[in-house]
Amino acid sequence: MPGRTKTRDDAPEEVDTSMDDAPTSAQQPAEEENGDAMQEDEEEGEEDPFEEEEEPQRVRILPGSSETAASFEFLKEGHTLGNALRYIIMKNPDVEFCAYAIPHPSEDKMNLRIQTYDTTTAAAALAKGLQDLEDLCDVVADEFWTQREKFEATPEQVRKRQEEAERRQAAQAS
Amino acid sequence: MMEYDNMMDSDFKEDFGPKIQVSAADRYHVDFELSNVDISLANSLRRVMHAEVPTIAIDLVEIEVNTSVLADEFISHRLGLIPLNSSEIDNLSYSRDCDCEQNCERCSVTLTLHAKCTGDEVMKVYARDLVVGFNRPNSEIGNPVITDPDGLGSLICKLRKGQELKLSCIAKKGIAKEHAKWSPTSAIGFEYDPHNKLHHLDLWYEQDAEAEWPKSKYADVEEPPAEGQPFDYDAVPSRFYFEVEGIGNIQSDAIILEGVKELQRKLAGLIHGLGESEGMNGEYDGPRSPDGMDTGAGYLEQGYSTPYGNPGAASAWGGGATAYGTTPYGNSGSNGWS
Ligand SMILES: [Zn+2]
Repeated sequence: MPGRTKTRDDAPEEVDTSMDDAPTSAQQPAEEENGDAMQEDEEEGEEDPFEEEEEPQRVRILPGSSETAASFEFLKEGHTLGNALRYIIMKNPDVEFCAYAIPHPSEDKMNLRIQTYDTTTAAAALAKGLQDLEDLCDVVADEFWTQREKFEATPEQVRKRQEEAERRQAAQAS
Repeated sequence: MMEYDNMMDSDFKEDFGPKIQVSAADRYHVDFELSNVDISLANSLRRVMHAEVPTIAIDLVEIEVNTSVLADEFISHRLGLIPLNSSEIDNLSYSRDCDCEQNCERCSVTLTLHAKCTGDEVMKVYARDLVVGFNRPNSEIGNPVITDPDGLGSLICKLRKGQELKLSCIAKKGIAKEHAKWSPTSAIGFEYDPHNKLHHLDLWYEQDAEAEWPKSKYADVEEPPAEGQPFDYDAVPSRFYFEVEGIGNIQSDAIILEGVKELQRKLAGLIHGLGESEGMNGEYDGPRSPDGMDTGAGYLEQGYSTPYGNPGAASAWGGGATAYGTTPYGNSGSNGWS
């Protein structure tokens, strides 16, 4: 924003873009009756008494989805989950296409598109992907722990530990 | 698909599935090679270790007396950055999830500091001078990490004769995604393809990149490309060299295990969420041909791209005429899918 160059009185208000002209968030608030989110924000204090305070849903299907081709919107997820999930879902032979995107860096949202063959549904492919990735993580953790122990048991490490213990003993004695 | 079938087998064959080889490890470091996995998984592991492994750090500071030369905020910031022992962090809940009003022994650890310089010498106040409160899940959590041989810990501030510092701190559980003070690592080395066979790097050179660039320490682990070997378009990276460097609040191997656990916690949360809301309130508005995806504009009209990706709209920001229209966001041709 440039600094103010005119005095407060001079500044014509029309110069500012009206809030009405600003594009609303492309992410439509779920179940919103009048779709204008910006407008809603301005009317402070006016709360719908029937609106329930609910835990925001982490995943939802975006409009325009079918059984076998769906876009999912994840809240509070990013590349960490998106890319790994995309990979594991693509590994599923029933899946024709899978991709993820973070539509805008300042919105904490991640979108995942899944298109499957007729043998399964997009939602099922997602559920399977999540489960598969969790299983894969189990294997990685187990493998790491096994290898870490194995490393600790190598003669070199055993000798190092022994030396360390001796050094500590010597330090205590003195 | 071979790999998939085998990978999903409950018992993993020797040659399939992720493999790890540890090459160096101590309290603060683990160097290992993760192989037979996709880069996406390796990178997710790196990311999650970096930003989402929970630790404990000072989050609130109440200053009673500060006559030192440093401002209250300055000292508070320094206190936040002191690594605190985060063993068995699972037993501590996040303050925001806790039932208490502000903070309690189930979601925080209290540390107090009182120092006054009475001598003529300049007094140095160290992390070891922090007194950790009694009520905590175990006798280690919240202890300042002290690694120097003299057992002093981080220097907090210096006091001259007559100056005093009296404060109490509340340490909370958090993750580095919120603030780097909660990071369990100081750095994570992540490397693959030491010979740049995949051309993921474009090396700058004067005469010869091969001669001018130093070799990676992993260069002799992998076969260098043969003379005149054509570029392999199908090659993908499969060996990843990690160098995890901890700062002492969590043991180095625990960083990796906690990282994997955190990733699984994410997944478990989503699996749970999906199971709860069968159908996910998504309105299938009729079957839709997957081919409909090809027309980027039609897809954008559905209203689930960025506010900038509004190719046809006559709004103040829309259209190609404004500067905004030429940003990567405003390009109706690319929809950002990766
Ligand atoms: Zn509490």
